[in-house]
Amino acid sequence: MTTLHVIAHSPFGDERLASCLRLLGTDDALLLCGDAVYALRSGSEPHRQLQAAGLAQRLFALDEDVQARAVGNDLAKAVDYAGFVELSLHYDKVNSWL
Amino acid sequence: MSTLNVGDQAIALDKDGFLVDLQDWSHAAAEALAEREGIPLTADHWEILELLRQFYQEYQLSPATRPLIKYTAMKLGPEKGNSPHLNRLFNGTPAKLAAKLAGLPKPTNCI
Amino acid sequence: MAKSLLIISRQAPWNGPSAREALDIALAGGAFDLPLGMLFLDDGVFQLAPGQQPTAVQQKNLAANLQALPMFGVEELFACSHSLTRRGLAADTLALPVQVLDDAALAALIARFDQVVTL
Repeated sequence: MTTLHVIAHSPFGDERLASCLRLLGTDDALLLCGDAVYALRSGSEPHRQLQAAGLAQRLFALDEDVQARAVGNDLAKAVDYAGFVELSLHYDKVNSWL
Repeated sequence: MSTLNVGDQAIALDKDGFLVDLQDWSHAAAEALAEREGIPLTADHWEILELLRQFYQEYQLSPATRPLIKYTAMKLGPEKGNSPHLNRLFNGTPAKLAAKLAGLPKPTNCI
Repeated sequence: MAKSLLIISRQAPWNGPSAREALDIALAGGAFDLPLGMLFLDDGVFQLAPGQQPTAVQQKNLAANLQALPMFGVEELFACSHSLTRRGLAADTLALPVQVLDDAALAALIARFDQVVTL
């Protein structure tokens, strides 16, 4: 069964993103929202980790959170809340990293 | 809050009739608690109460019905560790009532 | 058939309520006969460290409570090999009988359950 992993915490000083990337199945996807979008900041350590993970079409970010934080985004597919809902339905389950 | 008179001692109970201070438990307290519930304690009751106190010692929590049955079956065998036997002894609510008589906290996962 | 649930517990035991909440979900679900699994990940593996003394910080004994999981019908218990190694915890010293899984096995584990919650 496929999983959409959702992370909302900053990748700095916390292991959520690193652990999620280790456990991500080949058909799973990752959606970044809230402070987790800081991972998309180019030149940063988590940005390099995300690039190395090579998620291609399986990495998403909530656009309004990206814009609010002015992090830029050259890696993730931007989605709005409607897109978030669509993704939640597309995958068999959602795992929120609380 | 109410109190339970055991000999010359007045023991505090919470609104559900459980001991406020678990240190207050004694065999005499168990007898008095059982009397409030209208249950004459037999040897069959006592072995379950002892078992519950052992469970609490080991896991630091009160079992819900299912783990109580499982633990009883493990320690006393399946002829004791089954729901008809435990229901019969403790008026159909073994986890809650037996925990009360054994001086344990109310099981948290008990509806 | 009830949906299966994997609970991923990834917080250390004496730092806030997360570890306790994850365990409470497992115990409550187990009491109602739900098919459950529990995975200890990241700092969550510290819950499995042997010889903890919770009374020193006026806490209930989480490690003792964890031992009750099989009694509550939660027998699928797992720990992340990478998390253990990073923290210097040896699999054969843990306070709970868990299956230690590598990253690929963990991905397969998550895929197998109907639902997953991470605390």
